[in-house]
Amino acid sequence: MIFSKKAKKEIDIWIDKYPEGRQSSAVMEALKIVQAENENSLSTEVIAAVADYLDMSNIEVAEVATFYENYNHKLVGKHTIRICHNISCMLNGADDLVVYLEEKLGVKTGQVTKDGLINVKKVECLGACVGSPMFQIGHKYYENLTKKKIDKILVELK
Amino acid sequence: MANINIEINGNVVKAKIGEMLISVTDREGISVPRFCYHKKLSVVASCRMCLVDVEGIPKPQPACSTPINEGMKIYTNNQKSKASQKAVMEFLLINHPLDCPICDQGGECELQDVAMSYGSDISHFAEGKRTVADSDISALIYTDMTRCIHCTRCVRFGSEIGGIMEMGGTGRGEDLKIETFLRESITSELSGNMIDICPVGALTSKPFRYELRAWQMSAIANVARHDLVGSNIFTQTYKTKVKRIVAKDNDSINETWISDRDRFSYEGLAHENRLLKPQIKINGKWEEVQWDEALEFSIRGLVNSTFNMSDGSKLGAFASNTATLEEFYLLQKILREIGSENVDYRLNVRDLDNVIDLESNIKLTGLDGIDYALVVGSNLRLEQPMINHRLRKAVLAGASIDVINAMAFDFNYRLNSENIVSPNQILLLLAEILKSVLESSYAEIPKYLSKVKVGDIAKCMADDLLDADNSVIILGEHIINNLQAASIAKLISKIAVQTNSTTLNISATSNSIAAAMVNFIPGQGGLNANAMLEADLRSYILLDVYPQYDFHNSAQAIKTLSKENTFVISMNSFKDKDVTQYSDVMLPIASFYETSGSHVNIEGVIQSFVAASNGPGESKPAWKVLKVLADLLKLPGFGYINSAQITNDISNHRYKQKVDNKEINITIKRGVSVIWQKSPYAIDVLTRHASALHATKIGLMHRASMNKATAINENIKAGDKYLGVPVVITESVSNNCIFVNTNQLTGSKL
Ligand code: SF4
Ligand code: FES
Ligand code: FES
Repeated sequence: MIFSKKAKKEIDIWIDKYPEGRQSSAVMEALKIVQAENENSLSTEVIAAVADYLDMSNIEVAEVATFYENYNHKLVGKHTIRICHNISCMLNGADDLVVYLEEKLGVKTGQVTKDGLINVKKVECLGACVGSPMFQIGHKYYENLTKKKIDKILVELK
Repeated sequence: MANINIEINGNVVKAKIGEMLISVTDREGISVPRFCYHKKLSVVASCRMCLVDVEGIPKPQPACSTPINEGMKIYTNNQKSKASQKAVMEFLLINHPLDCPICDQGGECELQDVAMSYGSDISHFAEGKRTVADSDISALIYTDMTRCIHCTRCVRFGSEIGGIMEMGGTGRGEDLKIETFLRESITSELSGNMIDICPVGALTSKPFRYELRAWQMSAIANVARHDLVGSNIFTQTYKTKVKRIVAKDNDSINETWISDRDRFSYEGLAHENRLLKPQIKINGKWEEVQWDEALEFSIRGLVNSTFNMSDGSKLGAFASNTATLEEFYLLQKILREIGSENVDYRLNVRDLDNVIDLESNIKLTGLDGIDYALVVGSNLRLEQPMINHRLRKAVLAGASIDVINAMAFDFNYRLNSENIVSPNQILLLLAEILKSVLESSYAEIPKYLSKVKVGDIAKCMADDLLDADNSVIILGEHIINNLQAASIAKLISKIAVQTNSTTLNISATSNSIAAAMVNFIPGQGGLNANAMLEADLRSYILLDVYPQYDFHNSAQAIKTLSKENTFVISMNSFKDKDVTQYSDVMLPIASFYETSGSHVNIEGVIQSFVAASNGPGESKPAWKVLKVLADLLKLPGFGYINSAQITNDISNHRYKQKVDNKEINITIKRGVSVIWQKSPYAIDVLTRHASALHATKIGLMHRASMNKATAINENIKAGDKYLGVPVVITESVSNNCIFVNTNQLTGSKL
């Protein structure tokens, strides 16, 4: 098994919340838990292990793991800038901001900066269209972004 | 469900409350386009192609997921529905390549048809289309994933019908891809059905790739003969050759599905090993001759060996269990007219005095409705895929299934219990079950059970059987050479009677029910297959038999048949080294789909079929050859003009099966048992020549499994070969059992 006893225990708490035989309902939480202890990303081995634990087929878990933006499949930085490029943000210039971020950090989306600190990920609508364009770092939303605002945010990232 | 009236396109039609709109329109023959909907799969309503206008609802509604209600007024082809259908079609074609001329699905593509009837000729989309890399996921299915429209039929097929979700949709939005996990190969024994249900050219038949267009072929309804179900199929032919096989709907037989074996075995028909011309052996040399000469030669041999037809007892006949009902009938009739009772089709049974005698008395459709099943000695998925599919349906509906097997297998449903019991203990476990059942019903305990002690496991199964309203006990092919086969079958039939269960005997496959139906077994004074080989008869007729593969004791069979003074007539569809060695005449006969005839399935249903194509070369349908042989021998009663007349004759004339009155004997045998199971893709001469099947995961299975204790006892190590098959040590096998799965295209050498 690729995940720890502690992770198993946590997953079991989620499994218990669902009726018997519906352990697969815990898949999202399970993925979140094992991702946290695997350098914040899900390898195919990890996905297969979760499938095994929840008695699901591998591809079924892979479907979930690749559908949601909050699962990573490659190495990520300490901070992930999740920038929305969906319709409202796009209309308000998200694409330009992505290019700006890439130039400024010297990496393409999907790559991690050399110091391992930051990576940028394009995501779909985060439900903050009213403040578009926007991105999310950790749990925090940064809205009505401009290049200037971004400069300031980046400086503060440690 | 109450019947109600609704209105579709201004006409009143009857429907049931709660039914989906699309089933009503389908029933009424009103066309509604669809991609994701499939009548045997769950409804996901994801493609939106089936949008129709329902009066009173502002937005168009998907017909596949709109339940019917009283007074509904539906318009499937007014302006509003047409506009939505056109729009959806345009969206679907945004990423779909417009390369129909080089697509294998062209001409039989649902997308093409629907685009023609409901689509528009222009698109607003001028940007580049996305492309998706193909993956090599099967020896049977070719993928062109750029053509996939994400209807998810194949995905649902896996999880709902195949029993293992193998295909899935990863990524989302524009990046959504239908694929297997890590591009692993598909393992389902029913995988070919995905080709049938894929509405576009994303999944197509690999062996058929780039062969022909659908409209160039004629489709002839036919029946597959590789199992006990007799799945209905269409054989698609071009210039009298079978080019492809697809499923034909028959809800009481195979529903909409067929097994991969039935779908792809046709490949063998075109194999270079086919026997094309009659040949006779003169002074040890083979000569190709005309049919009449070969027949004359055969007759001379037969007359000779029967002392001018005065004594038939020195003549014997073997037939493969894939022969047609009519062929079995004619061959036994010839023998019996000559005065010989030496006929048999049970070639792979070691001890013909210890055979399974158990009737099947449940309908295939009945299997879906059972609430309990006890499976004894079977790897159902591989042996009888369509029967297994019905059991799976029953399990999904709540049935529970217990298994008694010598080894753990991959079932594609949840089992209540899987009891891994050594072959020599199976009888005892069944005896315990019978005793427990009798005790529970306060019935008298027969003497042979007096010493049997009922264990907990047996008690559980006995109680389940008693509690169930609709139970079935299934006896599988691993028992056929069990040292106590006969007693096992008897115990099962006693348990069934006591518990009001039905029974299903799947221990012999293909068309063996037909053979039994026309009494293709020795009668009074006759010799069975093994006895015939020991008796050194003067002459033998073999109907599509390949001793090296078909006989339990293949070495002895070849030795006997090869003797100097033995006259052997081989009526074969294929030739091989052994056949040419021992035969004196080889008569080329038509193979599957090249002859008319009948298959008898496990329910006893006679399904007749016509020839879809001619046999290659000078081969002739075996029933015609047999008829002419009989005429030349001047035997009475062979005035048949077509095979249907023979079928008629048979239906008017049913044989009573012999009842075997031997006592049940509960003694425990000792020692290691070997269960020899041929790959499902090497069970008969046609499958043995179908190359694509052999390249699948199932086809590649080739191993002799045993547990550590057995290996130590037998002095075998992992990596060794057991009778030529690589040894695998695994605790999934019971004690004292060597379970051989072989795809080796050779028979058992035990
Ligand atoms: S491969 Fe075919 S069946 Fe599967 S989702 Fe794509 S279009 Fe549908
Ligand atoms: S489109 Fe960016 S938050 Fe909704
Ligand atoms: S067929 Fe109704 S939405 Fe696909």
